[in-house]
Amino acid sequence: MNATSHAHWRSLPRTAVSLTGMLILAACASTPPPPIASLQAAHDAISNAERVEAGRYAAAELGEARTKLASADTAVTEKRMTMADQLAQESRVEANLASARTADIKAKAVNEEMMRSNGTLIEEMQRNSGDKP
Amino acid sequence: MNTIKNRGMMLGKTLIATTVAAVLLAACAATPVKPDGAAEARDKLTQLQADPNLANRAPMAMREADAAVRAAEQPEVDQDVAAYRVYLADRKVDIARAQAETSLAESQRTALSAQRERARLDARTREADAAHLAAANSEQDAANAQQAAANSEMQAAELQRQLDLLNAKPTDRGMVLTLGDVLFETGRADLKPGAAENLGRLVTFLNKYPDRTIVIEGYTDSVGTEDYNQGLSERRADSVKSYLTRQGIDSTRVSASGKGMSEPVAGNDSASGRQQNRRVEVVISQPPAASL
Repeated sequence: MNATSHAHWRSLPRTAVSLTGMLILAACASTPPPPIASLQAAHDAISNAERVEAGRYAAAELGEARTKLASADTAVTEKRMTMADQLAQESRVEANLASARTADIKAKAVNEEMMRSNGTLIEEMQRNSGDKP
Repeated sequence: MNTIKNRGMMLGKTLIATTVAAVLLAACAATPVKPDGAAEARDKLTQLQADPNLANRAPMAMREADAAVRAAEQPEVDQDVAAYRVYLADRKVDIARAQAETSLAESQRTALSAQRERARLDARTREADAAHLAAANSEQDAANAQQAAANSEMQAAELQRQLDLLNAKPTDRGMVLTLGDVLFETGRADLKPGAAENLGRLVTFLNKYPDRTIVIEGYTDSVGTEDYNQGLSERRADSVKSYLTRQGIDSTRVSASGKGMSEPVAGNDSASGRQQNRRVEVVISQPPAASL
């Protein structure tokens, strides 16, 4: 019991050191780090959209995603990290929308082409059968 | 009475206080309303969820959209944060719709492929049927042609057989049938009773080949005068012609002439030569369209 109390007393300077460290850390936290993960995610989402040709099928969305990412980078340089994070998130979601719309447009185009060629095939067949009943 | 009045006043004060408090509370409650745009995002999501063709597609994007809309609907004092959440919610609903429509299009593709396969199969079946029909037709055509060739061969053979029966010989003038002096008595132009047998085959031939015409020529030997023999040969040719017309041969198909003693085929200085010279020749014309 006595030993324990003595040991506790001896550890006081260490506690003081950790407290100081925490205070320093808290001071650092008042200027938060840039939202690297969000920025990277937005960048990846834009690359992905570019790969699926969103520039051709969903140019407005892709353009807005790029603008948002640029604004996020500007916010980082202004040390407005919360705003930078929000802009990066918006950029990522906008790029994802560009990709989703591109996929939708492509899928519908394939269907339309199939419908058109089916129509042609059926029409041709009916014409042939009309010639030779 | 006084106490009652006091109590009434106290009650009045309490009521006022309560009312004021309630109003203040209501004011407080009214401040954190749903952020601008959250209702629009919710409407878009509800529309998407109400579409029976899309509601069950892209489930992950649907859940994310739903969560984002609910987050956007939370009362938020910070206008920037509120706008940020509404923005995310709006785009996530759009993403969910785009993915659901993509999924719908892909599932419709299966049906389209099946339709295309059916149409192609039908087309192939029809092509095959048409090919079969064409093949059958050309086989039939070939058979018909063969049959026609066989028929024409048969007809040619039959004609030859008929001509052989008549004992007709090919000459420059066509097929010539020579009837000897078996038809007539000496010096007479009326047919002997046995002549019908000889001429019967000619009648049969002319009936069988109605597009053929004939020329009947009478010839004599040199016994007697030229005039006499000329007249006799003419009368004998006419006699054959009238026999044929009586048998039903159209008179336009038969012409008759007398050649007298002018064209002997043998010498008139022997009995056998004179016998050969007394004759009736029947020249059988080729048909107008000489197909045989």
